[in-house]
Amino acid sequence: MVNGYPLVYLDNAATTQKPSVVINAMNDYYTTSNANVHRAVHTLAGEATDGYEGCRTALKKRFNAEFAILTSGTTEAINLVAHGWGRANLKQGDVIVLTEMEHHSDIVPWQMLAQERGVELRYVPVTQQFTLDMEAFTYALEGAKLACVVHTSNVLGVRNPLEDIIALCSEKGVRILIDAAQGVPHTHLDFANFGADFVAFSAHKMCGPTGIGALLVQPSAFEEMEPFMGGGDMIENVSISGSTFQSDEHKFEAGTPRIAEAIGWKAALDWLGSIDIDSEHERLLGIARYVADELRSMGMDVYGRHEHQDSAVVSFTHPTINSEDIAHLLDARGFAVRTGHHCAQPLLQRLGLLGTVRASFYVYNTMDEAERFIAEMNEIVEKFA
Amino acid sequence: MTYPQQLLELIEEFKELGDKRERIEYLFEFATEVNELPRNEWTDETRVRGCQSEAHIRVAIHDNAVHFESAADAQLVQGLMGILTIAIEGQPTSLVLELTPDFASEMGILTSLSPSRSNGFRNMFDKIQQEVRNITG
Repeated sequence: MVNGYPLVYLDNAATTQKPSVVINAMNDYYTTSNANVHRAVHTLAGEATDGYEGCRTALKKRFNAEFAILTSGTTEAINLVAHGWGRANLKQGDVIVLTEMEHHSDIVPWQMLAQERGVELRYVPVTQQFTLDMEAFTYALEGAKLACVVHTSNVLGVRNPLEDIIALCSEKGVRILIDAAQGVPHTHLDFANFGADFVAFSAHKMCGPTGIGALLVQPSAFEEMEPFMGGGDMIENVSISGSTFQSDEHKFEAGTPRIAEAIGWKAALDWLGSIDIDSEHERLLGIARYVADELRSMGMDVYGRHEHQDSAVVSFTHPTINSEDIAHLLDARGFAVRTGHHCAQPLLQRLGLLGTVRASFYVYNTMDEAERFIAEMNEIVEKFA
Repeated sequence: MTYPQQLLELIEEFKELGDKRERIEYLFEFATEVNELPRNEWTDETRVRGCQSEAHIRVAIHDNAVHFESAADAQLVQGLMGILTIAIEGQPTSLVLELTPDFASEMGILTSLSPSRSNGFRNMFDKIQQEVRNITG
């Protein structure tokens, strides 16, 4: 219950709720197996290591990936590419292609690297149809070394034409990073056959814990990466004169890792594995389309398409009722939505907006909740418009 | 912290309301209480940082009394400005500097006043106090 009303949680693009199997798995680890991973010979250390590495194994299996580096989330995964690959491979005058659709976490690390290395950043514009300008994209790739593209927009729910983009990058010899934080929770991804060099995403947007995510890396790109965080666990040997590093993913996982979070994420992956994600996606998209249509009929501006591969995100504004006011009024009746710029200010600027209200749906949301949401929105519009 | 009498009465009024929705709707009514800062006078200097919507405040001190003009895009934010106007307008600088923003929680309007949260009210409150400090040196 929230504010005396049953919770209707529609802020899943920010973070999802956690199934009890995830909470129990983390609780069990702390209760019965708590130890540090990898080094010690005692039993608990073995259980902790199995738990932590079990997450990596599950990720590799689910996404068909040879390398899965565990990070603190999508942001750290992208920063790992910026520092681990970018510093080792980019020099002054090199070009990175970004898009206006990116989350700040896929803009700011590159701006920092550009400042440090004198790298040029090119931004692909977003059209008024909420898609990337592919002609501009093709042009921007000329002479580029890396492209960074969001899989699915956290504001619009629009899924980009990744296959076309990856093919273009491959043709031009441009490495490509996909920010899949909003994509992976809604779809299958066969990383080995996808063609991208790097894919970054977080556990907490797919029913896993906060504080953990992953970077999937193709073997040829993995070979080009250097560690940027030094410390325990990532080394092979340390002497006064220098250190050598591990050769696998551990090279990028310095220090005690997120053991409980990895165990929780593994439980979430197993739980999601029991769900038919394709039919769930269709169901959620149906809910999103219903909500978008109803909001439009109330006079709202809705930003997004809700086409076949898009995510179940509905961003909207009302011509006269402020978005923040809508969110507070909804919250008072138990509806959790997000407002603001959604950490995507360049996109909002392109669309001429300061912010939107965003309702985002995930596997536990129902059509009944969507209908109650629309009823509440109708009441708000009737009373405050 | 002892609040001005008018503010104490407002806290009691809000507490008596049935639920949060009623409190928010009542708060909207206080949006008209502000000394409105005209939109064409909104500048980067008047902007309240860290707000989800546009919120602007301009503070002046005359005869040791604090006066301020304010306005916001969101009714809820401007309603909070209206409450602040009732609490602060014309009060001595010393009293304004002693005031804490906790009364918004006591009214049952805001659940978190953490400075790290995107919180228009906390930021506008801090801006008023900071400007009073700047002016009084």
